[in-house]
Amino acid sequence: MTLLQDYLDKWLDKRIPAADRHTLNHQNIFIFPAKFGGVFLLLCMLLFLLGTNYQNNLMLILCYFLLGIFLVNLLASYINFARINVKIGKCPEVFVKDNLHIPLWLNANSHGSLTLNGLLDFKFQTRQTKKQQKLTPDSITQVDVNDFSNPINISHRCKDRGKLVLSRLTISSVYPLGLYRCWTHLAFSHEIIVFPSPLPCEIELHKHQQPTSKKGTKIHDQQTGHDDFSHLKAYQVGEPLYHVAWKQLAKGRGMVSKQFSTLSSQIGWLRLSSSHQGGSEITTAQKLETELSKLSFQVIELSRTGQTFGLDLGQTCIVPNNGSSHRLVCLKALALYDNRSASL
Amino acid sequence: MKNKGKEPNRKSKQSLKNIALLIIAAELVLVSLSLYDSVLAWVLLLVGCGTVIRVAIYANFYNHLPSIRTLNLLAILSVLGLIYSGLTLGFLLGMVNLLVLACALKLMQVRSQRDVYQLILSLFFLIGCGFIFNQSIGLSIFYFLMSLILLLSLAFYHAPSINLKIQLKTVTILSLQALPIGLLLFLVLPQLPPLWQTPKSKSTKTGLSEQITPGDIAALSQSSKLAFRATFLGAVPIARERYWRAIVMENFDGKTWSIAPHRKQLRSKQALFEQEFSPTLTGTYIDYDVIAEPTHQKWLFALDLAIPRDYTSDNNIWQSDDFRLINEQKLVSKYPYKLRSYTQALSKQVFSKTDQQLNLMVPKFGNKKTKEWVKTLRNNNPSNSEFVQALLLYFTQQSFVYTLRPDVMLVDPIDKFLFDKQAGFCSHYASALAYSLRLGDVPARIVTGYQGGELVQENNQAPYLSVYQYDAHAWVEAWTDNQGWHRLDPTALVSPDRINFGLRQAMLEEGSFLADSPFSLARLTNIAWLNSVRLFLADLDYDWSRWVLGFNQQKQQDLFKAILGKLTSDRMSLLGFTIVVIIGLLLTLFFLPHWLNRRLDKTQRYYLQALNLFEKNGTCRANWQGPNDFSQQVTQQYCEKVSQPFTQITQCYLHLKYQNKALISDNRSNTRQNHKMMNKNLRAMKKALTSAN
Repeated sequence: MTLLQDYLDKWLDKRIPAADRHTLNHQNIFIFPAKFGGVFLLLCMLLFLLGTNYQNNLMLILCYFLLGIFLVNLLASYINFARINVKIGKCPEVFVKDNLHIPLWLNANSHGSLTLNGLLDFKFQTRQTKKQQKLTPDSITQVDVNDFSNPINISHRCKDRGKLVLSRLTISSVYPLGLYRCWTHLAFSHEIIVFPSPLPCEIELHKHQQPTSKKGTKIHDQQTGHDDFSHLKAYQVGEPLYHVAWKQLAKGRGMVSKQFSTLSSQIGWLRLSSSHQGGSEITTAQKLETELSKLSFQVIELSRTGQTFGLDLGQTCIVPNNGSSHRLVCLKALALYDNRSASL
Repeated sequence: MKNKGKEPNRKSKQSLKNIALLIIAAELVLVSLSLYDSVLAWVLLLVGCGTVIRVAIYANFYNHLPSIRTLNLLAILSVLGLIYSGLTLGFLLGMVNLLVLACALKLMQVRSQRDVYQLILSLFFLIGCGFIFNQSIGLSIFYFLMSLILLLSLAFYHAPSINLKIQLKTVTILSLQALPIGLLLFLVLPQLPPLWQTPKSKSTKTGLSEQITPGDIAALSQSSKLAFRATFLGAVPIARERYWRAIVMENFDGKTWSIAPHRKQLRSKQALFEQEFSPTLTGTYIDYDVIAEPTHQKWLFALDLAIPRDYTSDNNIWQSDDFRLINEQKLVSKYPYKLRSYTQALSKQVFSKTDQQLNLMVPKFGNKKTKEWVKTLRNNNPSNSEFVQALLLYFTQQSFVYTLRPDVMLVDPIDKFLFDKQAGFCSHYASALAYSLRLGDVPARIVTGYQGGELVQENNQAPYLSVYQYDAHAWVEAWTDNQGWHRLDPTALVSPDRINFGLRQAMLEEGSFLADSPFSLARLTNIAWLNSVRLFLADLDYDWSRWVLGFNQQKQQDLFKAILGKLTSDRMSLLGFTIVVIIGLLLTLFFLPHWLNRRLDKTQRYYLQALNLFEKNGTCRANWQGPNDFSQQVTQQYCEKVSQPFTQITQCYLHLKYQNKALISDNRSNTRQNHKMMNKNLRAMKKALTSAN
C-alpha cells in the first residue's frame, strides 16, 4: 500500500512539479466518469433493453442521444477545467495550531472570452488512515466560480512548527452535467514557516548574551510605565506604524512618531533556558516546545512595544535589534530551532 | 469528509434553494400529465403535492421538508394503494405508476446530491416509458424537449449562479453536438429483435368492434382518427375496389352479428398443431405496405385475399380460414406489415362443409315478414344468381335512404328496416341482405372493415392511402357455385357516392358527417388552406411513422446495402470502423475551436506576429522595452507606411490588454473590432515591409 503510494507520489512529483503558478492542461488534468456518470450509462443500457424489447425506435433514439451527451461531455468537462489557472498568493504569518488561510488567485489575469464555470472543490490531500480521518476531517472548500472574489482562502491546519509541509492540493469539478469528474493534484512551491504558538508569560530579558550566572543579572521587566510618552520626533521609515501620532498627521503636521521614555534604555537578550533538558525524551520535547512558545510570545510582545532585544538559542544567535524584520528573523529562528541537534 | 462549518454554505449552493429542483418539479408534472391516461389520479395528486412543497421552499413560504418518518409512512400507504389498484392495472401500467409515485415522493424529500441524481435518472426513465404510450410527432418532440430541460436542470444543479441564457446555450450546444452522434448510432447499431416477452398495456380497444347490432344504434358516432395507412408499390386500386377486410361475422342471432365461436375454436386448434390455412392463389396481385395505428386488437386490414409478403410479416401473421389476417400480438403501437393481395382469388377458394354450415345458420324465431318475403322470392327465382339479383333489385327499386341517423329498431329489426323504415347505414343493409340470402339457402356472411381512404399521390413518392375511422364499412360476402365467394355491397346500390367518393360526399345533404366533432379538421375540408394544413400534417405523420417509427432491421439492411452495395463481412467491418472514425472526427471537430482558441489568444498572437516581422528585418524589442517605447523606436527607424500601422497595433494591444475591463461597456464586439483592426494593420505593415525590401 505504502509502496504504491510512494510510487504514485514520485510519479506525481515528476508529472506535476511544484510551482507557484499552475495552468491546467493535459499534463496535469485527470478525468474519469463520476459515479453519476456510471449510473447514467446504466440508465442508457436500461433504455436500450426497454427500447429493444418494445421495438420502440424513439426510446432507442433517446438512449443513443443520451449516450452522445455522455461522449460530448467528456470534452466539455475537460475544456472547462483546462481554463483554470491558479497562483498561490502571499500567506500571512501563522503559528502552530492556527488555521492558515492560503490565498489562491484563480484566473486572476484571464481573458474575458474564456470563462470558467461551475463549482470547484478544493481539498488538501491527506495521508491518513481512515480512523484518523474520522477524528480530523479535512475540509473541502467549495467555490462557485461564477460568483466568487479573488483570492480564494483555503484553510490548512498547521500542526508542527518549522517549514510547512503542504500536501498536494486537489481541485476537482464535475461541470457541466456531473457525468465526469475532472481533477488535478497541484503542488505549490512556497516559503511558509509556521512559528511556535505564543504562550503568554513573563518577559525575561537577560543583560548578557552568555549565561554567566544563574539568574542574578536578569532584568526583571517591570514595565509598568513602559509606554510613558516622552516626546514627538519626525517619523523615520522602519519605525512601527503604531507609534505614529495620527492625530498630529490629521492636523496636518506631517508624520511624527511618539517616543517613549522607558523603552530605549533596556536592551537585553531572550534566552532559551536549559531547564527543559533532563527527564524523559518525550517530556524534554514537550518542555522545549513550551519554552519556544514562551519565547515566541516574548518576541512578539517586545516587538510590539518596539524594544530592542537579541535572541540566543545556543546554536543560533541573533544580535539585538528592533523592527518588524528583526521580529520575523527571530520567529523564524524559533520555528526552525532543531531540537535534536540541541539535545545532542 | 465534509467539514461541518462548510456544510451550510455547501447546502445553500447546491440544494434546497436551487432552481434545478423547481425545474425538475415542473418537469415531473408535465411528464406525468402527458401520461394522463395511464397514471392514476391519486398518484397525480401526490405529484402535485410534491411540486407545491418544492415551490413553497423555493419561494421561502415554508422551510421544513416533511420528515423522513412521515414520508416513509406515506410511501407505505401509497404502495399499498398501488398494489390494490395494480391488480386491475396490469404489470406495465403498475410499474409506470410506481415510477411516477417514487418520483413524487423523492421530490418531497430531496436533501442531498444523491437524491437529485436519483430523481433525474428516474425522470429520464419515465420519459423513455412515455414513448411506449405516445409516439406521435407532437408528443415525441415534447418528450425530447423534456429531456433537454432535464439536462438543463442538471446544468443548473452543477453551476447554480449562471443565468438562464448561458445555461440554455450550454445545454443546446451539448445537445446539438450529441444529436448527430446519437442519430448515427441509431442508424448503425444493430436493430435487435425483442430479447424477451414484454408486458403490454391493457388499454381500451379502438376501431372496429367484433360484433354489430344495427338496430340498436340511433346515430353512428364517427371519428376522424387515422385507422391505418397503406403504401402501394404498384398501381392503386380504384376507389370502389378498396374494400379493406378486417373481421368476418358469421354468427347471427336475429339482432346481432358476431364472429362465429366455432371459428375461434378451429383457429386455436390449428395454432396448436401449427396447421396454418393456406389459400389458393391465382390471378393478379397488388403489393403494398400497411402501417396500422394501435388498436389493441389482433386482427389486421387487407384488401380482399392477402398473404404476408416478407419473412417478418409471415412470422407474425396468421392466415385464418375465413381469409382474415391475425397478428400474433395485439397492436399496442404503430405496426407495419407487408402484404400481397390477390384480388380475384376469393372466388377460387375451397368451400368447406364448416363454411356451409356456419353461413346458412338462421335463428328460428323473429323477422317473420322477411322470411315470408324471401320464401316467395325464392320460389320465383329457382337459380341462385337470379335470386341474388332479385334481392338486390329490391334495394334499388324501393326508396331506401342512406343515413347516419337511423331510427332505432329494437324488435324484429330486419323486418322493420326492410319494410317499414327503409333508412339506415351500411350495417343495416349488410345485415338485411346477409339474412335474406341465408333464408334463401345462399351462404352469406357480414364482413366489416374499411372502404375507401384518402389517396395522396406525389410525383416522386409511392402513392399512399390514409384510411380513417369514418371509413369503417360493412358489406356482405355470399357464396354461389359458379361465383364462389363474392362481395355484395347493398350500400353501393343505395348510395353509390359513399363507395365512389367516400362518406363526406355521401353525407353532404344530411350534414351528419363528423357531426359530433364540428371542429375536426377533416370536417372543414372545403376551406382550402385548412385542408392543405390537414394534408400536410397527414403527410408528416405518414413519413414519421414510415421512417422513424417503422425503421427496423429490414430498413437498416436496405440502408447498408444502399451504402455498401453488397453486405459482406469485410465491408460491414469497414463500415463499423468508419462510423467510429466519424464519431471521433465529430468529437475532434467540437474540440478544435477550443484548442485553437487556447493556443494563444488573438490579441497576443497579432502583436507577436508584428514583432516577428520586425525581428526578421533586424529590429528586436529589448526586454526592458515596453510596447510604447518600442513603438516610438519603430517610428524613428522606419518609414510612415510601416510605423503607422504598428502604432495602431500597439494601441489596440495596450487597449485590450491593460484597459480596465469594467470600463468597457460592450466587451465582446469591442474586442472583435479591435482584432479586425489589428489584422488589417498587420497586413498593411507586411506589405510595406516587403515592398521596402
